[in-house]
Amino acid sequence: MDPRLEHDIHSHPGHQRRLAQAVMRRQVSLSLKVAAVFLFMLLGLPLVNYFLPELANAPFLGFTATWFFLAVLFYPITWFLSWWFIRQSNDIEADIAANMRHENATPLHNKAEGEARH
Amino acid sequence: MIELIPLIFVILIIIATVGLGVWATKRSKSASDFFVAGRTVGVGMNASAISGEYLSAASFMGVAGLVMRFGYDTLWYPVCYAAGYLFLLLFIAGPLRRFGAYTIPDFAEGRFDSPFFRKIAVIFVLFIGFFYTMPQMRGAGLVMKQIMGWPYWVGLTVVGAVITFNVAIGGMKGITFVQAFQYWVKLFAISIPVFVIMTVFGWYGSRMNDNVQNPGLFPQFKESHTLAVKGTEGAPANVLNATGPSSFTLGGTPQFTVNQPSVLAPGSVEGSTATLHVAPGAINAPTGTAIAAGQSIEPGTAVDVVLPGAIGGTDPVTAKVTLTKEAPSPVTFDLASNVPNAPHNEKWIRPFGDFTSKQGFPLLYTYSLIIGLVCGTAGLPHILVRFYTNPDGRAAKRTTFWVMVLIGVFYMFTPIWGTLGRAIIPNLYANNLTDAVVIDLPRALPSGLLGAILSGITCAGAFAAFMSTFSGLLVSMSGAVAHDIYGRILRPGASAESRLVAFKVASVAIGGISILLGLYVEEFDIAKMVGWAFAIGAASYFPLLLMGSWWRGLTMAGAATGMLAGGLLSVGSIVTVMVIDKNQLQGSLNPLARVLMEQPAIWAVPLSLILMYVISKMTAATVPADIDLKMLRLHAPEEMGLSKNYIEH
Repeated sequence: MDPRLEHDIHSHPGHQRRLAQAVMRRQVSLSLKVAAVFLFMLLGLPLVNYFLPELANAPFLGFTATWFFLAVLFYPITWFLSWWFIRQSNDIEADIAANMRHENATPLHNKAEGEARH
Repeated sequence: MIELIPLIFVILIIIATVGLGVWATKRSKSASDFFVAGRTVGVGMNASAISGEYLSAASFMGVAGLVMRFGYDTLWYPVCYAAGYLFLLLFIAGPLRRFGAYTIPDFAEGRFDSPFFRKIAVIFVLFIGFFYTMPQMRGAGLVMKQIMGWPYWVGLTVVGAVITFNVAIGGMKGITFVQAFQYWVKLFAISIPVFVIMTVFGWYGSRMNDNVQNPGLFPQFKESHTLAVKGTEGAPANVLNATGPSSFTLGGTPQFTVNQPSVLAPGSVEGSTATLHVAPGAINAPTGTAIAAGQSIEPGTAVDVVLPGAIGGTDPVTAKVTLTKEAPSPVTFDLASNVPNAPHNEKWIRPFGDFTSKQGFPLLYTYSLIIGLVCGTAGLPHILVRFYTNPDGRAAKRTTFWVMVLIGVFYMFTPIWGTLGRAIIPNLYANNLTDAVVIDLPRALPSGLLGAILSGITCAGAFAAFMSTFSGLLVSMSGAVAHDIYGRILRPGASAESRLVAFKVASVAIGGISILLGLYVEEFDIAKMVGWAFAIGAASYFPLLLMGSWWRGLTMAGAATGMLAGGLLSVGSIVTVMVIDKNQLQGSLNPLARVLMEQPAIWAVPLSLILMYVISKMTAATVPADIDLKMLRLHAPEEMGLSKNYIEH
């Protein structure tokens, strides 16, 4: 890695913390968004089965609706979620990397020291 | 001649496995190739290899068998095995890969700067590994017994020795090729035969529709069927759960004793109604005489099970008849008699059947099962190590996506086997052999030769399944021993060559122990043993990896307490349930307590997470000084070059 960036990151714990938090916040918000959709399906289905049995057990293409959803449809849905997550996640990482390089162009230690003096 | 066809297929798959291993070994040079394949494996190859490693005997044989036996409730197994990868991708794969630690012990040490914690983590790798190898070993012994009539220990020892040899010479590089190959063998074996079977016996949807249209019916014997009722030591196979009116004739020479004729019906207490009636013309008893507990029945007696609630209705009435007898002997069921031990159509096809409702609390059971399987997938050590065989983080993510596709496609086929097995060979219910449905179903085809060939293909698939999973486990366990116990604890600073020797010695030793453990678990259930491994992973590694990656305040004391408490309490409660079920421990459990002990994830995972939080808050002063740098390593994009490579070349 760029020696100047390495120097900045190693000598300014406060900067490290802000940077780590900023990066993690972007990553976790994406992960939680996808996880929310996934958990809604995964944990919602037993509730539908339990409280709306007529809907869950309605005949559908020879199957019951809930069997078809769980044994057939569920897989492609998780593939789509996974594909969408990976696309977004790669964009975020490229963006973070670009930002870090950009910050590095205006020397970090000056900025951090300037903030420390305030 | 035809009977030898499955054996030929099994021998071919073993030769192909060993041959590929030897061939790949020639390309395996450095020590890091042995442990992580030198990170040079392409996405397609790596995704196939991960899928090949993941699809075990439990997936290939066990899931189809469970779906056949219990129906809808067990669809959660394949779904969560596959969907667990999404959780892994969302929260764990990226940070771990960036951190540069390629085993959980590396992560444990690197994250907390604690060699002590590394030792605890290593012990857990071996612990989960051995729990997960036991069902693989049992699957190997069982298939050889089923197709060849070999004694259990012979099949197990042969398969165990072949795989151990293969791993010892090839390491990770060898098995990457072998496992990628084995994924495609397994996909072929689970898909092609079932398509052929469906062209003869009807398609998935129409077979399902039979169940939907006739909710009150039970599977019936297609022809007069003789079932070997085992002797007193064969319990529970000598229990006939007559699920509807049925007729059978008792054979053999010694007398049968009916232990507990009873009706299990809504509102009726077990034992309140005598249900076995001796048929007209029977020896020693007039028509319609009820048989009391303890009464002897002469061999050759025709018995009709008459269930009052089941006649003309759809009430789920079950008669439980325990036949006690010293030696195995045949019981012949009449044509179109209801198959014992099978749930009726509606119970099978609808959610909350016997599997989740046996103790009451079906929703609780379902949720705990889901949590254990999803979190357990994200915490299996032999799966995690595979993420380091990608050249970079983007490739790791693409690999995960393709793994989800490959295993998802595979799992879509498993319920088809269960559905067709229920329709075509329901006799498997009678002596609890539903686990053999993928082996036996092709043999029901009218053409004996075609049936034998297709059965040979599924046998090869089953072999590929336990060979690849056992190889992966062996590599991660031997790696832990060579890398951690030998290379860091016993002889710190050992050279790469001596660690390589240690790896080979460890793999032979661990292979031997696994075979011995396999001999010990002949009577245990495959799916339940796999459940143990998942439960331990869900309540120990999953919280460690999740909190360790995303919360800077986690301390070593907090992580260790949560991991140990969650992991050990889940093991303890599951083992207690098993011991009680085996009647090795007297006592009965409150139904709620039993559900919570049989499926502990719903309390053990939160308990572990809460303990990690609370203890970490109490020991906040011990958060590593460079925690922010560590968090950056876990989360900053890899091209920033912050990752530290923990692998020493």
